[in-house]
Amino acid sequence: MAKVLEGPGMELFNKWGIRTPRHVVISSTDQIESLVQSNQWMRECKMVVKAHEAIGSRMKLGLVKVDLDVTEAIETAQEFMGREVHGLSISQVIIAEMLSHDEEFYLAVKSTREGAEILMAKFGGIEVESNWDKVSHTFVPVGGKPADDQLEKCAKEAGFTGELVEKMRKFASRLYECYDNEDGLYMEINPLIINPNDGKLCALDAVVMLDGDSRFRHPDWSFSFAPEFGRAYTENEKQIMEIDSRVKGSVKLIEIPGGQVAMLPAGGGASVFYSDAVIAKDGTLANYAEYSGDPPAWAVEALTDKICSLPDIKHIIVGGAIANFTDVKATFTGIIAGFRKAKEEGQLKGVKIWVRRGGPNEAVGLEYMRKLKDEGFDIHVYDRYTPLTDIVKYALEGEDK
Amino acid sequence: MSIIANTDSKVVIMGGVAGVNAAKRMAEFCYLCDLDFNVTSFVYPPDAGKSAEIPFGSQFLSVPIYKTLKEATDNHPETNTCLIYIGANRAFAGAMEALDNNSVKFVSMITEGLPEKDAKLLIQHSKKVGKLVNGPSAIGILSAGECRLGVIGGEYNNLKLSKLSRQGSFGVLTKSGGLSNEIMWLVSQFADGITTTIGIGGDTYPCTDFVTFLELFEKDTQTKAVIIVGEMGGDLEEQAAEWYSAKPRRIKLIAVVSGFCQETLPKGMKFGHAGAKEGERGEGSARSKTEILAKAGVMAPPTFGDLGDTIKTVYEDLKSTGQIKEVEEIHPSDLPDLPRKVEEVITAGDVMVQPLIKTTITDDRGEEPLYCGYRASELINKGYEIPHIMGLLWNKRLVSDKEADMMRRIIMLAADHGPCVSGAFATIMAACAGIGMPQAVAAGLIMIGPRFGGAVTDAGKYFKYGLVNYPNDIPGFLAHMKKNFGPVPGIGHRVKSLKNPDKRVKELIKATIELDLRTPHLDYALEVEKVTTAKKDNLILNVDGCMACILTDLGFPNETLNGFFVMARTIGMIGHWCDQKREGGRLIRLFNYLVNFAVPRPRDVPDKK
Repeated sequence: MAKVLEGPGMELFNKWGIRTPRHVVISSTDQIESLVQSNQWMRECKMVVKAHEAIGSRMKLGLVKVDLDVTEAIETAQEFMGREVHGLSISQVIIAEMLSHDEEFYLAVKSTREGAEILMAKFGGIEVESNWDKVSHTFVPVGGKPADDQLEKCAKEAGFTGELVEKMRKFASRLYECYDNEDGLYMEINPLIINPNDGKLCALDAVVMLDGDSRFRHPDWSFSFAPEFGRAYTENEKQIMEIDSRVKGSVKLIEIPGGQVAMLPAGGGASVFYSDAVIAKDGTLANYAEYSGDPPAWAVEALTDKICSLPDIKHIIVGGAIANFTDVKATFTGIIAGFRKAKEEGQLKGVKIWVRRGGPNEAVGLEYMRKLKDEGFDIHVYDRYTPLTDIVKYALEGEDK
Repeated sequence: MSIIANTDSKVVIMGGVAGVNAAKRMAEFCYLCDLDFNVTSFVYPPDAGKSAEIPFGSQFLSVPIYKTLKEATDNHPETNTCLIYIGANRAFAGAMEALDNNSVKFVSMITEGLPEKDAKLLIQHSKKVGKLVNGPSAIGILSAGECRLGVIGGEYNNLKLSKLSRQGSFGVLTKSGGLSNEIMWLVSQFADGITTTIGIGGDTYPCTDFVTFLELFEKDTQTKAVIIVGEMGGDLEEQAAEWYSAKPRRIKLIAVVSGFCQETLPKGMKFGHAGAKEGERGEGSARSKTEILAKAGVMAPPTFGDLGDTIKTVYEDLKSTGQIKEVEEIHPSDLPDLPRKVEEVITAGDVMVQPLIKTTITDDRGEEPLYCGYRASELINKGYEIPHIMGLLWNKRLVSDKEADMMRRIIMLAADHGPCVSGAFATIMAACAGIGMPQAVAAGLIMIGPRFGGAVTDAGKYFKYGLVNYPNDIPGFLAHMKKNFGPVPGIGHRVKSLKNPDKRVKELIKATIELDLRTPHLDYALEVEKVTTAKKDNLILNVDGCMACILTDLGFPNETLNGFFVMARTIGMIGHWCDQKREGGRLIRLFNYLVNFAVPRPRDVPDKK
């Protein structure tokens, strides 16, 4: 699931004939003057200015301002730009035409195992959550298209009447086209309104989730995906993502500030069980990480670097199941190089390292780890005969329990 | 007994290197269990028509590679299973082709990152044609003692340790590939091992769900219990719970679900497999799944750490009721070992091999080349230069800076001598005929011999002979040479003479004085020159002779001397080749007037007898 910010989301909508308010996304305040010159609407309409970042509850944080004239809009944009929120500096602002409206509607397309569900409601905004049972649904099998009468029926069930039924049918079929052709996973318009200027339906917001794995068949996707955490990616996370994108196998990192137990486990499945084990023992996670698919040693070393540099950690869990084809010796060589470097740089003081692993070349890999003890590492190494997550128990409760 | 994969499974693998690697692992399993190899063919258009070499014990099996699946199954009609090891952008088309193929009854896909829409279309199509697709992102399927599809099971020794050469009583279904091995290992330790293990893949929409496989396990009487390793997200575990509680089931069901940590993480922060994501309203969380499973009568330990004990409890229970009989263990030493590679056996000191060649100068088996034991990087970092490397590799001696300087000057002076000499001309002629650099330079090097550039070695040899045997008797030396060998190599020049001295020789002699080198051979040669030039003006010490004496004085053995000319002149020849290439030199053909056609006049060919 890959989130697309409002600006590029609206561009995708426009590509498939879905109307949105006129808008511009700026990434530098120097751009504003010339944009005002070339966009007449900016000089004539009232505007909404929002921080264009993947930050949750922008309204509450004061990162949305409405009903602004051109001078106020420019001031607001300048004020937002570069502001620090949750450790993230706002680098983009979206300025959109403000459309007054009486009624708000809701329209969404959601992927399911068999196809997609189209959802409609004759109310929008926050009312959708509290009136979920009044939202009407209709199902479209994968590879199919919604029939006209199917969409009309759904609109009527949602309470639309008169010419709005036909308008909703057209609008929903366009949103489905957009969803289907752009490898959408979830698309939501809330609120959907009637544009007072032309009487046509208009998407005031764009929640667009795409299938990042399908990027190879969408050469026109010029945007990058936004993080889904409600915060921006950290520099370390970005660096690991960049490595992940160009190596065989995978390396993953998510930082969790304030945790004491750093995670460096192998495998998408085992890594979550390790995290669960830490939580079950009332430990606090300093990160999530994972390497799998026999990644090159240097990539694992880079991941190790980042993990050793996490602040105030007490333990590092180098866990892993019995690998199918990831070479234990080779990947451990990367981890060991990372540990040595961290130690030279004065990190890992008072940090206990816990290792458990099996798989190709396990004996040699584990022996290399054991030898780190001679170099002064506080390292505890276990093989396949110790159950998968027991090292977490040893770390948090002591080895003899 | 087993499900899906058994001794009747005959496999075609779509894919290149990854597919071949999987086939190698599958061959190891067949070897362990004394089964025929079960891969019939590969489909990989870039290598179509070739065959892949798969080690099987100490043999190598040759498996054909086809362009299309149809060709593969037409040639190997017994094929009934297709494994997909191709990239995400082509995997969908490959799987559709497999579903539409009459021979193929089951498809398993390891491809990661398949778009969700493609997976959904595969689910739809597989239902239509009544076949199963396992995956995507699925590590494979392993039925103990019967069949391995993919790399599942890991390395050979793990197959033995996890008792995978014979049937146990537990079925395993996991989303995670890495954990499939872990569970098989657990089941071998805490119970009697597995029947079949299936990795279904961790994507949002695995093409085949837990319930479909549970139905199959329920019908397989050898399987007494099934272990599910689930993850938060989706509803496959809930469906499994519903299936289990719908009516009395023969099999016992154990399930563990990962993702409890999500509860305490900052809101919105999620990780793990693609499919591991909670619904908007909390459904599909690890806790909710575990509760639903437990309510359905499934043994659902709260953590992975408790799984071993749960398995043991179920096993003991099944044993006490007589449903599982204790099997006689096969001792690992009674199972075949994979033949060791020659390198391993030699390293272990078990065999001795007569080496084919011997070297006394270099070793590149480590991280970087060693030149007579010196690390190349260290030589560079300590300021040594090319002449020092030549000294090491040609004469196994680290020369002094003075000596290196002398060698450097010799190479600089001998690097080229214009386009007209035999070597450069041969290179130019080859370059103009469109020949590549290594061959054209080799053409030039071939010219180096007794008449061109090759006199250095002989000159060195005879001046050394003279110095040893006729130290104070130059006329005696010359008489000996005249009687036994002919003209003295290194003496005489076609153009240069006493009046028109060779500037290069002067330079070299000057350098020996500047560098204060001891030069007994050079001194001797100059004495010889005095005598020969008295006879004839152009019998001077030429550049070959001069080089030969100086290098001999530097301690270079005779056989290395021509090397200096070869080395130096290669620089020039490469230059000539590049020059012709850049300038687009035309094909060279001799003009008739440059040839004396001293041939018989035209005449009739006699009749053939």
